[in-house]
Amino acid sequence: MRIERALPILALLLGLGATGVMAQQPVPAPAQQRSVLVTGGTVHVGDGRVIDEGAVGFRNGKVDFVGYAYGVTATYDTIIQVAGKHVYPGFIAADATLGLEEIEAVRASVDKQDIGRFEPEMRTLIAYKADSRVVPTVRTNGVLIAQIAPRGLVIGGTSSIVQLDAWDWEQAAVKVDDAVHLNWPAAYQRSGWWAEPGETDNEKRDERAQRLEELRTFFRRAKAYAQVKVPEAYDLRLEAMRGLFDGSKALFVNANAAKEITEAVQFAKAEGVKRLVIVGGHDAWRVADLLRENKVDVVLRRLHSLPMRPEEDIDLPYRLPALLKERGVRFCLGYMGDMETMGLRNLPFLAGTAAAYGLSPEDALRSITLDAAAVLGVDDRMGSLAVGKDATLIVSAGDALDMRGNQVVHAFIQGRRIVLDDHHQQLYRMYKQRLEQGQ
Amino acid sequence: MMRRSLFLFVLICTQALVRAQSLAPTGHVQDAAPVLVAFTNATLHLDARTVVPKGTLVVRNGVVVAAGEKVQVPQGAMVRDLQGLHVWPALIEPYSGFGLAPDKPEDRRNEQRGAHHWNRALRAEAHAHELLRPDGKQAGELRRQGFALVLTHRMDGIARGSSAAVLLNDAAVPKAVARPDLAAHFSFRKGSSPDDYPSSQMGAIALWRQAVLDARWYAAQPMPPETDAVLAALALQLNGRVVAEATDRNELLRWAGLLNEFKLAGIIKGAGDEYARLEQVRATGLPLIVPVNFPEAYDVEDPYDAQEVSYARLKHWEMAPYNAAILDTSGVVFALSTYGRKDLKDLWKDMRRMVACGLDSARAIEAFTSEPARLFGLDDRFGALRPGMAANFLITSGHLLAERNIIHETWVDGLRFVNEDPDRTALKGNYELNLQDGIWNLEVSGEGEKLEAFVRRADDPDSLRVKARLDRSGTIISLSFAPPSDPRAVIRLSGTIHGGGGLWDGQGQRPGGQWFHWSALRRAEKNGARKSGRDSTAAKVQEPPGPVPQPLVGFGWTEAPTQGTVIFRHATVWTNTAQGILRNTDVCIHEGRIKAVGQGLDVHVLFPGKKKPEVTEVNATGIHLTCGIIDEHSHIAIARGVNEGAMAVSSQVRIGDVVNPDDINIYRNLAGGVTTVQLLHGSANPIGGQSALIKLRWGQAADSLLIRDAAGHIKFALGENVKQSNWGSGSRFPRSRMGVEQQFYEAFHRAREYDQAQRRWNELRPRDRIGQVPPRIDLQLEALAEILRGERFITCHSYVQSEIDMLMHVADSMGFTVNTFTHILEGYKVARKMQQHGVSASTFSDWWAYKFEVYDAIPYNAALLHQHGVNTGINSDDAEMSRRLNQEAAKTMKYGGVSPEEAWKMVTLNPARMLKLDHRLGTVEPGKDADLVLWSADPLSIAARVERTYVDGVCYFDRTKDAAQRATVAAERDRIVRAMMAAKADGAPTRKARREHQHLWHCDDIGEEEQQHLDHDAH
Repeated sequence: MRIERALPILALLLGLGATGVMAQQPVPAPAQQRSVLVTGGTVHVGDGRVIDEGAVGFRNGKVDFVGYAYGVTATYDTIIQVAGKHVYPGFIAADATLGLEEIEAVRASVDKQDIGRFEPEMRTLIAYKADSRVVPTVRTNGVLIAQIAPRGLVIGGTSSIVQLDAWDWEQAAVKVDDAVHLNWPAAYQRSGWWAEPGETDNEKRDERAQRLEELRTFFRRAKAYAQVKVPEAYDLRLEAMRGLFDGSKALFVNANAAKEITEAVQFAKAEGVKRLVIVGGHDAWRVADLLRENKVDVVLRRLHSLPMRPEEDIDLPYRLPALLKERGVRFCLGYMGDMETMGLRNLPFLAGTAAAYGLSPEDALRSITLDAAAVLGVDDRMGSLAVGKDATLIVSAGDALDMRGNQVVHAFIQGRRIVLDDHHQQLYRMYKQRLEQGQ
Repeated sequence: MMRRSLFLFVLICTQALVRAQSLAPTGHVQDAAPVLVAFTNATLHLDARTVVPKGTLVVRNGVVVAAGEKVQVPQGAMVRDLQGLHVWPALIEPYSGFGLAPDKPEDRRNEQRGAHHWNRALRAEAHAHELLRPDGKQAGELRRQGFALVLTHRMDGIARGSSAAVLLNDAAVPKAVARPDLAAHFSFRKGSSPDDYPSSQMGAIALWRQAVLDARWYAAQPMPPETDAVLAALALQLNGRVVAEATDRNELLRWAGLLNEFKLAGIIKGAGDEYARLEQVRATGLPLIVPVNFPEAYDVEDPYDAQEVSYARLKHWEMAPYNAAILDTSGVVFALSTYGRKDLKDLWKDMRRMVACGLDSARAIEAFTSEPARLFGLDDRFGALRPGMAANFLITSGHLLAERNIIHETWVDGLRFVNEDPDRTALKGNYELNLQDGIWNLEVSGEGEKLEAFVRRADDPDSLRVKARLDRSGTIISLSFAPPSDPRAVIRLSGTIHGGGGLWDGQGQRPGGQWFHWSALRRAEKNGARKSGRDSTAAKVQEPPGPVPQPLVGFGWTEAPTQGTVIFRHATVWTNTAQGILRNTDVCIHEGRIKAVGQGLDVHVLFPGKKKPEVTEVNATGIHLTCGIIDEHSHIAIARGVNEGAMAVSSQVRIGDVVNPDDINIYRNLAGGVTTVQLLHGSANPIGGQSALIKLRWGQAADSLLIRDAAGHIKFALGENVKQSNWGSGSRFPRSRMGVEQQFYEAFHRAREYDQAQRRWNELRPRDRIGQVPPRIDLQLEALAEILRGERFITCHSYVQSEIDMLMHVADSMGFTVNTFTHILEGYKVARKMQQHGVSASTFSDWWAYKFEVYDAIPYNAALLHQHGVNTGINSDDAEMSRRLNQEAAKTMKYGGVSPEEAWKMVTLNPARMLKLDHRLGTVEPGKDADLVLWSADPLSIAARVERTYVDGVCYFDRTKDAAQRATVAAERDRIVRAMMAAKADGAPTRKARREHQHLWHCDDIGEEEQQHLDHDAH
């Protein structure tokens, strides 16, 4: 039995050798060999419960103990004392583009969308860059699981869910081809800008009706196709849609205005889509009854946004989680929008903001852990610290939803202890040396 | 009857001939005799306020020779009796592009330019009277509404040339132009110019400003170094009347400032929203041209659709008809214009609406007659009916503003144009048609030329009603119809109209050729059926619906907050001084400054005199009190373009020219604790524009947001944006970091030489200046010279270490210091050198990987810079993040372990130093500006919310008031939405609701055209 109290940086230096190897990606951890007990900290279970002086034990990648530290009876190879620290399930990012773009403005490094309007067959998983430099910077803030989603014009493609410590996408995959992603045609034109709006013309409205009709036709073709097990001709597009009608795939629809959300829900229902998730959902609280009745979940747009309309409540985006909670709609938090890839590491602070604006801290945590797992359909395996689930968790020196407290000192994915180093810390160490040398 | 018609015919012919006389040689006998006409018995309006009940107007050769009550009809005059009719001065359209189509950019790419200005948006040399091609159709439409004269210019470009007064007399151009070169016209739009510059409004303003300076300089040269027809024309124009076009109230105030800057007498064409900045508009003292053009209502039946229409638009829809009345009541002088209307169809309906909304009816008419005449110096000939003035007048059925008024005739320069002949008796009505063998009922309906007639046997009410063919030619009438019993047995009648149309008679022929005498007698109207309609001039005046918020957006003030004396008790005070964070401490603010900070502050000690101010006590237990956040890098509140990226050096442009005080993001920033921001030019070029430093005094006009005595700042930029790596055609220099360095040296060497030349001139003794022309003022070089002289401070957008080093080298070798590197994401690599140079760093907390040059950006940057002696701040460059700068500052604790106090200074004191405002801002200590924020918790915690924000001791954000305001806005919206639905139900035209998307500027947004692009972030 080895007792660890060492600073993570020390463990890191031991792991890498103290020679200061620069600009290398952290080496993915091998499968869990030794059993681990993380004990003495505040355990945030992810389902709303908090255990002070709690412990989490895991072996072979699965959690086998969650409870008060004094209740531990089994023995563990490694015991990590985390008194005064906080233990959380690894955070889960829905509708992320991690690994699909390395540098936003460098086209050669971006694989978020392809050409064409109906492209469900585009699979993000195979473009996911497991050794992206961005990925480790996100892990060090506690995000360990992500749904890698396409962008695109109408139907962008099919997402997969990955864990963020892998040699390649095959290893990274947690759930392959989990959902088809659709951008709902905008109900309102936004030509011009508020001081000088462009004029609306009828032609554009007709164009929208036509778009909706095309979409409907495409879904009807897909549904008909799905009824035949062995099609006469193999159609890549329609094949990718097959899972929507038997529930093996979810349909994620990006829609923000109440009208768009309503249309999308009715559309999915009419076309026989088994599982629908609304992405964006700015007005979701206005149509909460509809969403609840139809068991439609929401991936909320980035809370750190401006109100969508000029005189909406100035803090409306921050209050959206509380509004959905009050109305009984299940949701998780997303980070889509400008600089969504590199900014994903701020996901925990969105949850923190939700807590500052009406959500309880543990409900805020749920929105990036258990509820996120549920929205993505993987809550049987992850999202909370529960016996039998994946041992995917982090330990933070303080409140991980607050910038001041978010210091991830340990992180495990499927029981594997991952290296908490990244491109930024490497450069930090390197140039600190330069500056200390007086150069 | 006959006599009068004949007389008119003669009159028209003779007049046409007389008018046709010209300087051109004639080949036939001329109609030499003058045309003299007298109009008698009219209700004669000499002007909008002077009416003669039974007046006579005498016109000779198109000129009024007499008008009034006791006017003798001169001998030899043709007389026309206008009993029951009104005569008015004809209308003047003061702002029009009549007969002068703007050019198309594609046509101008290869135009022959001659000796003209380098920038094709300046077209001052254009004279409307030289280019005019009158549009007969448009002239007819204008005349039908009562216009006889239009002031027209070619609406194309920033300097648009001069306008002309054009008579709508359909004459050849030399005869139609009543007066050339009336005024010089300007706008902020470059129009058809194919040049890239200017691409923003601040660029347009800078170009205009330089052109004015250049024109005066050019005119002062005995022998200019080059010939420029534009500058020559402009120099002349600036001594005369100037008309500037504004497309909203803020542009109007911008123009007012510019005209004042150059002491130009101007008239501004407004947009009809002046009521929203009434005080400032009034204070300009300038006359306006205000369009009669009201926005259409929106389709708002669907509550979700209604949501998409902003309060500003809803309210403007409601307020627009009141605008003129409000201006008039405030003493603003204005003329009205039809500019911008889709058509003229409902002009008079809209005029009546303005009157119903409180505009004095005489004023309404003056604003289309005597006022434009006076403003343009045409009142000697136009706008009224007095001896010596042009015979431009209207013959109407009633008061111009009466609901049923008909403008029968528009007389232009003595020429008659008939819209609806008053002498053509109205035939509408029911007649008893006597065909000898039977009586029929005849119904005549329709207006003007389009008459419809039906007949039915009078003795058999069940008989069929059949359509009759009715033709009229003067007083000759022909009518034919077939009885329902036999469609082939057509009865044909021909006859004459008598007695005001009430009696027709003549001969008819039956089938078979039998002639007979017939007559038709109009039946008396039932009482009230011919009511002339409501005279809206007498209608009840509607009160304006509630106060207009300042600014006109949902969170504007209807009651502006005021400065007070306040003591905050028992707060946790983040002083940013050596005192650190003080617990249970009081802070007193008075007259916009911090008066005292300490425990248990005593009012009697603070204000020992007899006269004590009224003190508000605020229990701030549990509250964290800090100074306001200062955002060193912001692009909120900027109108129409944040980049003037068409030029590599645009130091002449000024963000201060285009501050938009109506931007809701000002309020949202206040709600995030921000009180002061530096509004920066973008980063599209190596040398950008001059910054504006503003305080977020929400509700005040642009001028009042500016921090008056602040030092001058300017934006520079390096790297991918300026070398156009990710945008642009690539034709503009520079395209590499090498080019950027050389661009700087080039600019500063030119600036140094310029400065020396100016200095030499300034040092000349007055007598040595005689006969010399001062060196040209170059605003671009002037700004750079200010940098060299240490009077203007650089904020430089920067990323990678090579370019950071480069600019410091340039600065060192040219003898100045770079003030701030902004973004500076690789600053951590060269922190020591930055510290030695003495430059500040204003960075992002954690941005990276959005372009290649930020692949080495690290969130530890701020901490490393700070720890190595560089004055370091965290900025936003983003309208959303700026309201969470406290969170961003807290990230420096996470990344690099900065202490809370030092982290907090990164968004307050440190940026205050960068902006050279730390003597006033950035700490909580006596004497500093009372720019304070009350936080619900430790401001660096994620739980912190702003409760109140004070600027200069005025509480501009208060969470409690904000909550109340939300309810008020919702109620106001509902009220107006219901009014819109009612208007729609009444048949008002409507348009579809649409989402109002505000363009949020970032550094690398290019030009204002960018706004037209649909954003892709939502869908």
